[in-house]
Amino acid sequence: MGCALFALCASCGGSAEPATDSGPPEQSLAPALRRLSTAELEASAETMLGTVTGLSAALPPDARQSDYSRNVAQSVDSLLLGQLFDASRSTAENLDLSLPQFPSCARTALASDRACAESTVKMLSNTAFRRAPSAREVEQLLGLFTIGAEGADFNSGVALVVRALLGSPKFLYATTLGAATPGATRLSNEELGSELSLLISGQPPDEELRLAAARGELDSGVERERQSLRLLHTWQARHLYRRFVQEWLGLVGLEGLAKSSQVITGFPELRTAMVDETNQFVDDVFSLQAGSVSALLAGGYDIVPDALAGFYGIQPTSPGPGARVDLTGLGRVGILQQASFLATFAHESESAPVLRGKAVLTRLMCLDFPKPTDLGVDIVFPPADPNATTRERYDRHATDGACRGCHATLDGVGFLFENFDAAGKLRTSESGRPIDTSGSVQLDGQQLALGDSMALSSALAKSEQVRQCAARQVVRFAAGKTDALVEQAFVDSLKSKSPERRGTFLGLFLEFVKSDWFAWRKPQ
Amino acid sequence: MIRRSSLPISRRAALTALGAGAALTLLFPRTRSLHAAPVPAKYFIGVYMPHGMAREFWVPKSGFNIAYAGSSLAPFDDAATYGRSFRDQIVALEGLDLTAGLRSSTVGHDASRVILTGSGTNGQNASIDQFLAIEQGLGQATPLSSLVLGVGSAAPALQWCISYAKGGTALPKIIDPLATFNHAFGQFLVDPDPAAVARAAREQRLGKSLLDYWTTDLAELGARAPQAERDKLDQHATALRDLEKRVVGQTVTCKVPAAPNSTQFPSVGSYQGGEPYFDLITNLQIDLMVQALACDVTRVSTLFLADLSRTHFDSGLPEDVHTDVAHRYASPGRNGMGGSDAASQARLARQNHYTYAKIARILQRLSEAGLLEQTVLVAMSDMGDPAKHSSRQVPTLLAGGWGGALRGGRHIDLGPNGTPSNRLLVSVQQAFGVESNSYGQSTDASILSGSLDLT
Repeated sequence: MGCALFALCASCGGSAEPATDSGPPEQSLAPALRRLSTAELEASAETMLGTVTGLSAALPPDARQSDYSRNVAQSVDSLLLGQLFDASRSTAENLDLSLPQFPSCARTALASDRACAESTVKMLSNTAFRRAPSAREVEQLLGLFTIGAEGADFNSGVALVVRALLGSPKFLYATTLGAATPGATRLSNEELGSELSLLISGQPPDEELRLAAARGELDSGVERERQSLRLLHTWQARHLYRRFVQEWLGLVGLEGLAKSSQVITGFPELRTAMVDETNQFVDDVFSLQAGSVSALLAGGYDIVPDALAGFYGIQPTSPGPGARVDLTGLGRVGILQQASFLATFAHESESAPVLRGKAVLTRLMCLDFPKPTDLGVDIVFPPADPNATTRERYDRHATDGACRGCHATLDGVGFLFENFDAAGKLRTSESGRPIDTSGSVQLDGQQLALGDSMALSSALAKSEQVRQCAARQVVRFAAGKTDALVEQAFVDSLKSKSPERRGTFLGLFLEFVKSDWFAWRKPQ
Repeated sequence: MIRRSSLPISRRAALTALGAGAALTLLFPRTRSLHAAPVPAKYFIGVYMPHGMAREFWVPKSGFNIAYAGSSLAPFDDAATYGRSFRDQIVALEGLDLTAGLRSSTVGHDASRVILTGSGTNGQNASIDQFLAIEQGLGQATPLSSLVLGVGSAAPALQWCISYAKGGTALPKIIDPLATFNHAFGQFLVDPDPAAVARAAREQRLGKSLLDYWTTDLAELGARAPQAERDKLDQHATALRDLEKRVVGQTVTCKVPAAPNSTQFPSVGSYQGGEPYFDLITNLQIDLMVQALACDVTRVSTLFLADLSRTHFDSGLPEDVHTDVAHRYASPGRNGMGGSDAASQARLARQNHYTYAKIARILQRLSEAGLLEQTVLVAMSDMGDPAKHSSRQVPTLLAGGWGGALRGGRHIDLGPNGTPSNRLLVSVQQAFGVESNSYGQSTDASILSGSLDLT
């Protein structure tokens, strides 16, 4: 991510940044215990042990809140704890004490080697607790080591410590409780390090960050930014931002979808290729363009896996795997025209203008719409008609006064995608009739008449409304919940920032991490 | 999806137990619920049914005739298939609205959340199954507080759950029958090999040490946590207590079910290749659930039958039941609004019939185990008319003896105006001896109180 991150760093260098944070902001998030997502638990376990654990696959799936799996609604229920208990036992049975995650003495230590046990316990708990353990905590863990090693060996003692750490509430929950000060709560040094690392890389803090936190250096927003820039270079960060984009745009729903055999065959295999396509594209945009919102939406290029080339009507491996290809001639200018988005927001056998329109309006523009039943409107699905286009079948939305209020907006955006079928394949006709992709959107206070979804993407890419929504999404992801007041305050704070900051996701993440909304919480 | 490699009981161990005979004797004390009041009903089962209901083929005819041509309730009067008729053990309850959802924009598919909670998306109360199991102690004495099962989707997501913990968190479901077996019965399998016995004794000792450590950790965290996070920590404490029961080891005398042969269902997820096996998976989940009740492994269970489309179990139905059956249903309903298409009604009734056949299987198993009279079973969809995604007039099936609190063999019609489903939940809790006249949460407190006359 080198080039883009350097630009981001350079863009902030000229401004006068405070050496330490400026105190509690007027609007703050509530203090919370956030159970780590299963992806975070797995990443933390693998960082601690240096081996693949497969933990997330062994645990029940995460609950989502505001679309994100990183959220404060996660909990530890009986099923999760029982499965974690079993999985951690399996993991502990397969420890490799020769890995650098363990002190060198651990390779040959005897069960009676308390000094080596202490070194091991400290190394493991540093990672598990995302901070240095207290002397009391070390003693407690050494007590467990002794129980595990009794009548067995050093490895067995370490195995019990590993099981204890993987099930510890101090491992499972990231806290933002802080040390109470009158009127507000500032995160503790350790919490600042933990939150920063989990938000930026999805990992527990590394040694450099832990030490910086312990020295109180993360008081400074500038230092938090510097540490964040460093962590953004890691491959773990790449995975985190893939997940962020998938959850933001709702693409995680793709794995739970099927398509009618009348629309496409072999969809399960194509589904995998669709996810690969989006992941590669997101990697590219985040690595080379700092997660530019406009590049995601209308970068004018794609990275197409061979398995998807036929679906898109292009030659495989041309110009080469992982290379950018221009698909604008085929109606695809950015992520909204990728098959993952188009197939996710469609029905099994037909396109879904309402779903596609709603996805754009809610996820990219942060608008809300009432449900029809809230308005006392009974949903009437348009009947199947082999002689009509989808657009024609949805005509009732435009003529029924009860529907028109919302659907003029929803369908106006959704119709722009009508040249893509239920699976996201390009089409020029439906039911023997030509496709009409015209539509409209109200953006930045202006009503725009558009010809197709590429025009929509281009408009969204330049939109201040979309940039503000992106900032709100960053706050939701970081906070693990929706907090409209903090979102608005953060959006307002960005007005003076450079386009590189306001228009890129990495810039937005950096702005949030260095802000007071990151470092302070409401008083308990 | 639940990863098989992480399961606690090796296939070999499971097979060893089976080899020892399905009558392997397991022991744990049958302890009464700690609930203070007399508890007439002992077991609770909640079932979610997908795709709404075709009222035209659901309403019993005169004399509680449910065996007429096309009736979706016919499986409950089919002794040839289910060993006996359950006609007198069911009530067809008509006229309920999922009102708490209607008051809080928790409608359509989201309304599955309302079924057992009586509250919308912002509700903080537990669903009635968890309320009984945790807050009323029905699950305190059993190895598992509750058993939350599903078919197709394990996700603890708004549209895919009926069980919610106190605090409003959706609970994940077990969708793999082998995982269900391990979760419910794995702890009781005993390998008689001396080395294995020694390993088990050591594991128990280590497990107790771990539990002590985690309990201390949780208490330290709880001392610092804000009030708003207490429900979360309470849930964690409950999970630790459940784990402690397993670690400490309890004994029971019962017939251990056979471990499912997972080669028969190589995939278990919706749209992940699981559809061809959903029929078998549903049967296995039902059999294991009832066996868990029979062994007093738990007294509370829910079963979420996720979108059972594309299963091809009924060649008379379209490939995509969700879109081409549920969405195409055309009925004027009770208010005379909307079109009418008899063929669409018959198609949805066939799908309803399929789902009710699974509930008939539950009743068959409960009857065989001698549990039917003490069981409270509630089966409901999130919609009445699925084409309208309407949470009004949701046909509801009540079954079991409810410990004497339900008089079966009846069609109870509460009328077309919409009775809040909270009243059903009040009646459920009262069947378990909970002396409260309200259940759920809503800004409209008037919908929370009152019960139904079911006797």
